[in-house]
Amino acid sequence: MPLHEQIGRRRRAWLSVVVTLGCLSWADVVVGAESVSFNHSIRPILSRHCMKCHGGVKQAGGLSFVYEQQALGRGKSGLRVVVPGRAEESELYRRITTDDPDDRMPPIDESPHGLSAEEKRLIQEWIEQGAKWGRHWAFELPRKQAPPPVGKAGWPRQLMDRFTLSRIEAHGLSPAKEASPEIWLRRASLDLTGLPPSLSELELFAKQREESGERAYGLAVDRMLASPAFGERWASVWLDQVRYADSRGLGADARRTIWKYRDWVIDAFNDDLPFDQFTLKQLAGDLLPDATMEDLIATACHRNTQSNNEGGTDDEQFRVDAVIDRVNTTWQVWQATTFGCTQCHSHPYEAFRHEDYYRFMAYFNNTTDSDTGNDDPVLQVPLRNSDYSEARALDVTIENLRDKIWKPADELRRDRNVWRSLNGLKASTKYGTTVGVDRVDGVDEFVLPEAVKQKASIILEASLPKGLSHITALRITAKPRDPAQALADSEWGFIVTRLKAEVIGPDGGKATTVPLTHAISDEPDPHYDPIESLTGGNFGFAAYTRINHAREAVFVPSEAFEVAAGSTLRVSLDHSVFLLASFTMVIRRGSIAVSDDERWTEFANDSKFDTWRSKLAEASKRRAAIPTTKAPVMRERVDWLRRPTHVFTRGNYLEKAERVEVGIPASMRGDSTPNPGNRLELARWLVGPDNPLTARVAVNRFWEQMFGTGIVPTLEDFGSSGEKPTHPELLDFLALRFQNELGWSRKGLLREFALSATYRQDAAASANARAADPSNRWLARGTRRQLTAEMVRDQALAAAGLLSAKMYGEPVRPPIPSGVWKPFSKDPWETSEGEDRYRRSVYTYIKRSIPYPSFAAFDAPSREFCSPRRLSSNTPLQALVTLNDEAFVECASGLAGRMSVAGGSVATRLAFGYRLVACRDIGVERRRELEKLYEVARKSFQASGVGKRDMPEKTPELSALNIVAGVLLNLDEVLTR
Amino acid sequence: MNETNLHNEARQATLAQTTRRHFLRDCGTGLGALWWATNAAANADRGVSLPRHSATNPLNALATPFAPRAKRVIHLHMIGAPSQLELFDYKPQLQKFDGKDCPQEFLEGKRFAFIQGTPQLLGHQYPFQRHGQSGQWVSDRLPHFAKCADDVCFIKTMQTDQFNHGPAQLTVHTGDPRMGRPSLGSWVTWGMGTENEDLPGFLVLLSGGRPPRVGKALWSSGFLPSVYQGVQCRSEGDPVLNVSNPRGVTRDLRRAALDTLARMNEQSYREVGDPETLTRMAQYEMAFRMQIAVPDAMSIDDEPQAMHELYGTSRGKESFANNCLLARRLAERGVRYIQLFDWGWDSHGAAEGEALNRGFRDKCRQIDRPMAALLGDLKQRGMLEDTLVVWSGEFGRTPMRENRGGGEMRYVGRDHNPGAFTLWMAGGGARPGFTYGETDEMGYGAAVNPVHLRDYHATLLRMLGFDHQKLSVPYQGLDQRLTGVKHARVISDVMA
Repeated sequence: MPLHEQIGRRRRAWLSVVVTLGCLSWADVVVGAESVSFNHSIRPILSRHCMKCHGGVKQAGGLSFVYEQQALGRGKSGLRVVVPGRAEESELYRRITTDDPDDRMPPIDESPHGLSAEEKRLIQEWIEQGAKWGRHWAFELPRKQAPPPVGKAGWPRQLMDRFTLSRIEAHGLSPAKEASPEIWLRRASLDLTGLPPSLSELELFAKQREESGERAYGLAVDRMLASPAFGERWASVWLDQVRYADSRGLGADARRTIWKYRDWVIDAFNDDLPFDQFTLKQLAGDLLPDATMEDLIATACHRNTQSNNEGGTDDEQFRVDAVIDRVNTTWQVWQATTFGCTQCHSHPYEAFRHEDYYRFMAYFNNTTDSDTGNDDPVLQVPLRNSDYSEARALDVTIENLRDKIWKPADELRRDRNVWRSLNGLKASTKYGTTVGVDRVDGVDEFVLPEAVKQKASIILEASLPKGLSHITALRITAKPRDPAQALADSEWGFIVTRLKAEVIGPDGGKATTVPLTHAISDEPDPHYDPIESLTGGNFGFAAYTRINHAREAVFVPSEAFEVAAGSTLRVSLDHSVFLLASFTMVIRRGSIAVSDDERWTEFANDSKFDTWRSKLAEASKRRAAIPTTKAPVMRERVDWLRRPTHVFTRGNYLEKAERVEVGIPASMRGDSTPNPGNRLELARWLVGPDNPLTARVAVNRFWEQMFGTGIVPTLEDFGSSGEKPTHPELLDFLALRFQNELGWSRKGLLREFALSATYRQDAAASANARAADPSNRWLARGTRRQLTAEMVRDQALAAAGLLSAKMYGEPVRPPIPSGVWKPFSKDPWETSEGEDRYRRSVYTYIKRSIPYPSFAAFDAPSREFCSPRRLSSNTPLQALVTLNDEAFVECASGLAGRMSVAGGSVATRLAFGYRLVACRDIGVERRRELEKLYEVARKSFQASGVGKRDMPEKTPELSALNIVAGVLLNLDEVLTR
Repeated sequence: MNETNLHNEARQATLAQTTRRHFLRDCGTGLGALWWATNAAANADRGVSLPRHSATNPLNALATPFAPRAKRVIHLHMIGAPSQLELFDYKPQLQKFDGKDCPQEFLEGKRFAFIQGTPQLLGHQYPFQRHGQSGQWVSDRLPHFAKCADDVCFIKTMQTDQFNHGPAQLTVHTGDPRMGRPSLGSWVTWGMGTENEDLPGFLVLLSGGRPPRVGKALWSSGFLPSVYQGVQCRSEGDPVLNVSNPRGVTRDLRRAALDTLARMNEQSYREVGDPETLTRMAQYEMAFRMQIAVPDAMSIDDEPQAMHELYGTSRGKESFANNCLLARRLAERGVRYIQLFDWGWDSHGAAEGEALNRGFRDKCRQIDRPMAALLGDLKQRGMLEDTLVVWSGEFGRTPMRENRGGGEMRYVGRDHNPGAFTLWMAGGGARPGFTYGETDEMGYGAAVNPVHLRDYHATLLRMLGFDHQKLSVPYQGLDQRLTGVKHARVISDVMA
């Protein structure tokens, strides 16, 4: 019998048991012994047999079983699909039971036998009982659960154990014996810190057990949780979720400097930053009031998206891809929901509509990052954490001063009375690009209607307005070629690398240059400062790299510039920078205006401004003196440059439908809950009391890490196509406990797991016990599974005595097999020297296109996207890694060295080595095996004699230990936990 | 050694026994099997059946739902996108309009990587001729290959959605422009396993001096277990990573160490009873065999001189010719999916090496003889019948001359064109001496019978005995398929 049927049978059997016991309080499942629960019994039938055609995507006959109103309403035929209380009158029941092959559902050709008798009966009863609809369990809030009564009352050590035990007992199983203390210590140590216990930890634990018995376990767990290694271990788990890498992915996969974020994650675990805060800071740290340096670094979380630096790529396409990835990842990580499906259409089986996707996307669509090659916006992060607060304080000072200087000028810029447009515009270009002049709303605009050549310069001439005696400011307005369309579909932007204004007197003749000295942007902290348009170079007034809205910059001479009546102004705009490929970065449409308002001159000369400017310069100088590295961060665009968000038709970003505003899916929003208004409020909703999923999803992940399989085994999908929880009450209990009693403390949660009777069970089980529960869903034995890629390497380094305890910093490059590192773009792998060669794996440089070979072999994901779950494999290539990879050979040598210096007889040394890796006594049989091998190897090396080159170590004895060490590092019990 | 033999026997017996005894358990665990075992019920209902490999060998050969026309694939990917207009797609009209301004309708609504303003049309840079009884067009750049014309099936109207290299290469190999999804070779080895358990089922060979830009993502197993990812063979160092023993470890000594390891693992198994321990023991044995089988397969030294001449190999170096010969050796040994990448086909004309009138000639010379040799060699050995050889780039090139910066460039080149490119296949159920699809008069877009990459994927899977709709894995709430959610069509016309 196939496995799934067995499981199915057992589940049904279990249900009847529980129902008769009457102790099942999980509301969704069964209300009374007789009633049929929609969620438990009916939704799975509909989902399995009907929703392919009557779901969220296909709604054949206008019927969808995703939405209550449609299922309980009338189909296109006008017939009532379900008449509560009357199965015989319900079209649904008629169609599944009819003998007419043309009418029968599901259609004969798709399902020859149709629904089973049992399924039909359930539907009949459900309708007869009133056809009560229910939401999928995961979208209902967790309910308070009392730990159930159990038979073996002395067994539980934590409240959670009562839940697992009740299931174990309900299945007629009994818990396994407790694992030996050493085995538990090793498992807990690897699970909590990613490293096996050291010899001294083993000794301390033994001593404390003697002295204080049971309390020793708690003390050991507290030591592990307090160890810095804890954060290093759990950071790897989180970094899989948020797809952390040290490279950008896609076309060129060039380096990205973002390691300060990785260090922040390590600290967040070590400091036990509550999970709600952990969430808020990563999703919206930039929007927190009084954001700290750490809060800003945390926002690099969603800057781990891939970017494309291949020449000729469309930045907008990949910016949109990054935003989409942020949406999907947020749903994956915090909600374990496949929201990504709704990018192209309404969700096939959850109550999410197509437009819900884009409403949610609007939360993420207004950050300034835009797939540029330099990862902008980047934060200059002090190398030393001790400089964080000073640097942040300086940044705030700088922002305030910049605003102070900018605001009055910006108000003046916005004052339409200050400006006189230049009409009668004559436009020409250098290098043969076509230019024309349009009159738009009474203003002459130059426009470059056709394909533009690189580096096009635009020269504009117009008579100065009558009555203007001097010029105090010049304003350039730059627009997209098609301003209306560009709001939704941005165009390529521009950079004015050189701006020159000249006045030609009424008599013609020589032009005089207007000595412009100041520039004011239309945003306080522009990507490029327009002042650079005056100094020449590669920057200046810009919309980089895309333009949605009209952009303006004002240029001011330090003195009012006198002009004679009848003079002409000539403005030339150079664009000497273009992006690789056909992206010319030239203004496509624009106009100029001049001002004679004397406040501009004041602005340029007022000593108040000068004081602020010099303060600003000083603060900037002090900031620049702090040694820093970079981290890309989230930053909102200013309100007036906000990007509108549209629904993409069939998910295609080039086909935009109606405009939408921010919002969470209606099906998840209570009637009285307001829509979160921005990213910060969104993050608050995620960790708020109204969100049914966040805490459940989080505890489930921790559970999976500790117990091998999630309570919801599909970590990535809590929705109706995911699996149901094996222990629903426990899931709710833990979720509520995590967010309430434990105050979102991850260490608190893990402590309870590690000390539970469930966790402390031995993994050994008889064949019968295994057959009764092959995949250990009911946890009547301990979990045993392969180490993660990081653990395999870190453990080997620890056993060899090589592991460095150095924390944080730039990614390191341990030895890599030759020929592996062939990056597409320049990025040399210079193997780290000294202790950097032996750092924890979490610090290894992660390049998406060239995963570190031993990590890839042991199933580490390459971090392109959120990896909700690692799939463990068991392959010959793994064997080749741990047997032959240079890094592991080095570890075997180190371990042999430790065994050698440990002293004593060969037997003692072998036992010592075994204890280092397996953390327990060797026993006679194993010792004999190793002794035999040692002798064979020693003799073999001795026989090969003088040829020292042919030995792994200097002496035959040490070489033989090396061979033994190789075996130790490859033992099944050592590669598992 | 007697003891070892006895021991081996005993171990095999134990393995067989315990494997049987734990059959139930084995079905449901190992290799992340829990993940799909738990999804199996739902899948059975959806008409999806997941391949079920044995617990100790996730690569054992499996029968496919349909009788396969091809048992293995050799895919030759010319990285950078070779110009179909200089090799296979002959367009007399284009020749006539050489140097004329490109019509505006070619440019409207189109996005280019480099072309600006109004470019000029560019005629074929090399003469074309009909070849073989089937009279297929091949340019004079591929004289050896042209002799195989009657064995080859051309698809002239291949199309893709991507016009940048990275995403386009990913689309060819994984059906999706983003990194992180299973590649064709992974799907196939997952679905069929492999015929030689001493070698990986999916091998990757590189030439041209640079790897493809998205690297390993092109042979990734994505969300399939990592055992199905492509294994890159190397011309430098170990032919497969870590296949050599460390210094001072002889094969005998390794055997002795593995025997000790096996006995100690057995003891663990007796104590704990975890079937994964047995799986691991089997993996170590397989690794031991691979250590012999891989270098043997990857060494071309024992090939006769005539073979070296036929392929035009250069010993001890990395070359496309060597890789073609290796591909034949691997195919012979039962490797399921052999993926070659040859870099250097991005003929923009921005530099000499990537000019149609310069570097392109060298690239053609580098592949012409080896491709022909591979087809001839397979045929002569009777292997072409069940080996599918595919040749392609990631997109095509424009009939317009590239005008980077809006002006005439020093060398002659063409820009990226996702609208039409040529792919050919031979052997393994491909219809020989046949051309499918027709581009427009300028070779710019597909005029008759366009074939999207999705359709090609569906067709290739069908040739291997799969229904592309059913070879799927439940992941993130969707039945994930190579061909994605859009409609894909099996092009039965190109099947023999």
